Amino acid sequence: MTLIWGGLSLGAIYAIVAIGYNIVFISSKTFNFAHAQLTMVGAFVAYTGLVKWHLPTVLVLVIASAVVAIIAAIEERIAIRPVGDMHNILVTTLGASILLDGAAQLTWGSQPLTVPFFAGDSAITLFGGRAYPVELFLIAIAVLLVVGLGIYSRRSLTGLALLGMAEDREAALLRGVNVRRLAFMAFVAAGALAGFVGLFVGSKTFAVSTLGAALALKGFVVLAIGGFGSMPGTLVGGTLVGLAEAYASRYLGGEYANLAVFLILITILMVRPAGLFVRTKERVV
Amino acid sequence: MANLPLARRLSGGPLWIVPLALGILLILVPHFNLEYSIVRQLQLAMILSLLVSGLNLSLGFAGELALGQVAMYAAGAYTAGMLSQRGHTDILLQLVAAGFAALLVGLVTGIPGLRLGSWSLAMTSFFLVLLLPDVLAIFRDDTGGRNGLSGILSPTLFGKLLSPDDYFMVIAIVTVAWFAVMRNIAVSRHGTALRVLKKSPVLAASMGINVFRMKLLAYALGAVPAGLAGALFASLDLYISPEAFSFSVATTILAASVLGGSASVYGAVFGAFVLQFGLNQSTEFQKYSLVVTGAFLIIGGVLLTGGLTGLARSLWRKAVGEDPAVSASAPADAAAAEDVPAVPGKVLRVEGVAKAFGGNQALKGVDLVASPGRVTALIGPNGSGKTTLLNMICGFYRTDAGVIALDDKQLQRMGPDAVARTGVARTFQTPNIPEGITVREAVMAGRYAGHRATVLEAVLRLPRYRKVRKGDLAEADRVLDLVGIRHLENAEATALPLGQRRLLEVARCLISNPGVLLLDETASGLDEDEVERLAEVIRRVRDAGGTVVLVEHNFQLVLSLADEIVALAHGELMAKGTPEEIQNNERVMSEYLGIDPDAPEAPHVVLADVAPHTPEGAER
Amino acid sequence: MSKHAMTEAPLLEVRGLGTGYGDLRVVWDVSFDVRAGEITVLLGRNGAGKTTTIRAISGLNKIVAGEVTYRGESLAKVPAHQRVRQGIAYVQEGKRVFHSQTIEQNLLLGGYPRKLKRAELRQEVERIYELFPILAEKRALPASSMSGGQQQMLAIGQALMSQPSLLMLDEPSGGLAPVIVNEVMERVHQLKETGIGILLVEQAVEASFAIADHVTVLDMGRTMLSSPASEVSDMTLLQDAYFGKSVAS
Repeated sequence: MTLIWGGLSLGAIYAIVAIGYNIVFISSKTFNFAHAQLTMVGAFVAYTGLVKWHLPTVLVLVIASAVVAIIAAIEERIAIRPVGDMHNILVTTLGASILLDGAAQLTWGSQPLTVPFFAGDSAITLFGGRAYPVELFLIAIAVLLVVGLGIYSRRSLTGLALLGMAEDREAALLRGVNVRRLAFMAFVAAGALAGFVGLFVGSKTFAVSTLGAALALKGFVVLAIGGFGSMPGTLVGGTLVGLAEAYASRYLGGEYANLAVFLILITILMVRPAGLFVRTKERVV
Repeated sequence: MANLPLARRLSGGPLWIVPLALGILLILVPHFNLEYSIVRQLQLAMILSLLVSGLNLSLGFAGELALGQVAMYAAGAYTAGMLSQRGHTDILLQLVAAGFAALLVGLVTGIPGLRLGSWSLAMTSFFLVLLLPDVLAIFRDDTGGRNGLSGILSPTLFGKLLSPDDYFMVIAIVTVAWFAVMRNIAVSRHGTALRVLKKSPVLAASMGINVFRMKLLAYALGAVPAGLAGALFASLDLYISPEAFSFSVATTILAASVLGGSASVYGAVFGAFVLQFGLNQSTEFQKYSLVVTGAFLIIGGVLLTGGLTGLARSLWRKAVGEDPAVSASAPADAAAAEDVPAVPGKVLRVEGVAKAFGGNQALKGVDLVASPGRVTALIGPNGSGKTTLLNMICGFYRTDAGVIALDDKQLQRMGPDAVARTGVARTFQTPNIPEGITVREAVMAGRYAGHRATVLEAVLRLPRYRKVRKGDLAEADRVLDLVGIRHLENAEATALPLGQRRLLEVARCLISNPGVLLLDETASGLDEDEVERLAEVIRRVRDAGGTVVLVEHNFQLVLSLADEIVALAHGELMAKGTPEEIQNNERVMSEYLGIDPDAPEAPHVVLADVAPHTPEGAER
Repeated sequence: MSKHAMTEAPLLEVRGLGTGYGDLRVVWDVSFDVRAGEITVLLGRNGAGKTTTIRAISGLNKIVAGEVTYRGESLAKVPAHQRVRQGIAYVQEGKRVFHSQTIEQNLLLGGYPRKLKRAELRQEVERIYELFPILAEKRALPASSMSGGQQQMLAIGQALMSQPSLLMLDEPSGGLAPVIVNEVMERVHQLKETGIGILLVEQAVEASFAIADHVTVLDMGRTMLSSPASEVSDMTLLQDAYFGKSVAS
């Protein structure tokens, strides 16, 4: 059970990253390579706020959200909006992610930094397994996000506009939705979310400048498993990837963890190319 | 005046003398007594440019972002290293083995990644790079794991030990040789075919190109220089470790590619040298390398779509003079009087073809025969099934029932590329023309699938390639004359005005000697003169014996051109006959005008399901 | 033609409009008016440029030549979503409602540009339900579960939620049974009585003719005929215009 808690919380981190990818994907049909790096910056800001400045946790969460939201806004303006085609966006957002990696390395160095967790780091026993408070928080956050975003998108007018935009951009425009602005807002909101969860992610993994690359990849795998645009899919994908990684490294050795995830990815791509929760459509010329 | 066209010709094609001279200079570097550090930077820059060049094949030419170059690089390096450890020190042997090992990695990883297009390949190949240290650790007995592979012996050539100077020359020769190969691929028909693919997979398939195989070819072929680079690197330091194949190497390769221009041949060298010398000058500066790489990628992606070489090329073009497309005046009907060579058409038969999308019956058993030497027009109101029928003939949709045949060959079970190779050629409503090639090249691409010459034959310029190439050129002359745009042959194809791009598409179809020519709304958006020229071309093709199927809204054009008109409504055949008969057919007139109040059985067809505007990515 | 309308300036004036998709020009020279409380019917074979014309008025396509003025002001620089806020509603061809959302959600979203309070928005939805009772019955079902005719009602209802002064309908009868076509036309006629200006694109000539105040026929992206409906008595005149013969009016 201890292993399961560890795997689930790891999966929750990947799912949270995938949720961020999804928010951007749903609102603007683009893939922000740098989203995981935004989470990483959130973790670093949390470290600085908590360890260097000794600020209260709540304030740190607010600052981290704001800082990363601003970075996301800048990224959208310089690396996404001026770029026309999809292939170039892949290149520019990858550029943004590398730039953030480099900037983080310059600012915080390349040594892993410990982000203290407000609920302590003594393990508790739950359902016969030992789990750290931060792990339970991460799992809760992932589930709450999926449920909360589900309710928000069905109940609020902005949420309906977002879903409408995802389904038919032109039709949404004709209902008076400023699709460009809304897509921008969604992008910034995804940034704020990344900043917010940075503290939790950093507490589980350390704040380190290679965190982004690892998260980016696993987040993508989660997305590919669940299907682009599917929020419940992120939870299923996250669980699968987290557990596979935990079990592979426990029973086969650390070097098999990524390999196991890679095999899952390849299998899913070959068997269900659109992911588990999204249906493929007949090809249209 | 006489010199001007020459300068223009130079501006269009690569100036291969300049790179060759630079290459020879590079090979001779050991004789210049340069400082050790500069020599080493040069060696690393050459290795990097090999890697970048491989990436360019998939990113710049086939349009697929792949980050797996580093994995192939590693495969090459470890193959060579382990061979050397076991005493096989001959560099030639190592290069060949490394090239094959990398090719294998490319093939195995390309298949799942390419099945899905853009993001998947980027991600699976990205993953591949991250997996490297793990894989090396698993096989640590052979690879040395994280400690690296040591004990690599000094390289030899034909039993002779190579000095550092000799080895420099080996690296330079391999690099120059690869770029010669790359250049030969890029300017060959394969290079054009890759650009077609990058422009649009649908277009590529409709020209008979197997999309998946072509992409795999580009990606796997790009593995070869990476493998060579790996072998060269292994014998350079006689030590390799996982750190040399980290993700930051992958991003450096990408940045160099974007900086130099992914779609160019020599841009790779340029980008690699800038990054190698720019980023690694001092350790002080190295701290900023990630930031600079990232910034390069953003700026490159936003501003320099063609990279620095693209920028230089457009500046050169400006210096040479205005675009030939604009300046050349059209000789009114230069070719009109000449006798037109035969266009042997085939009989297209469509029998009882039916198709349903979901619950919506788009076609309910349609018959049609188009014969050589005749123009058969397909008309009908929106949602009548014209476009669906066209797409089914081309193999983009599967039939639910019925037969589609060209002469005796049944098409209904074939994929679009196979249909095209059987002899079905089509144009598109919005002309689909790849960027960065001339009118002549765009037209010659139409012969790619029908007349084959392998990549190897193209690289070595073997007799069969020369023969096919000669045919390409002669046939291009013929069809360019036929449609009357020969005078524009060296113009950039995408820069032509709409009317001429339509003619270009017709020429591209004709060059493949199609059994049937399908024209999809070719007249839409053209002004009266352009429509007249197009009509003239269609008449010429018909008179030469071609089979023409015309899907058209322009009623006047249809009446003046068609030998037979087939009118569809609600997925069924409504009427069939000569223009006079159709013009006087009550039913056709009423369907168009909608005057008839007692239309037979209320059609419950939902237009939205047939029209091309259905929201994409909608999930229910 | 009603008399009071003549005295006021037209709600929408289209003069020499040219537009298309990128450099693919489809509309070359189109002119007509729409007045408040009147129906202008835009006719023509397919490919004539009717839909492209409406798309340019709604802001989806760029106006490359000519002038489009709404309430006396040029629309050239107004972004599409702003035009909806100013009262221009466009119901696209093919019942493009949001299939994955419920009927009620579709209607609520229709009120998006008006920035209403929740309660007011509910009230507006009730108003639409009164107009189209079938929507009230199915309010909690996804739009994809409805028949074509019902989806058309929903699409119109959704557009009405934005309280338009100018309603543009693109082939509302497309693919519907004749009985339903008549019902749709009747609804459109009722809407005009409320003072809304209506631009109707149709292929069902006879049905739309019955409710038209003004008729404009396009072919190959040009106006072939533009005249008050009462003056078009001869169907052959219409037929000529349809098949590309310009008719002076």
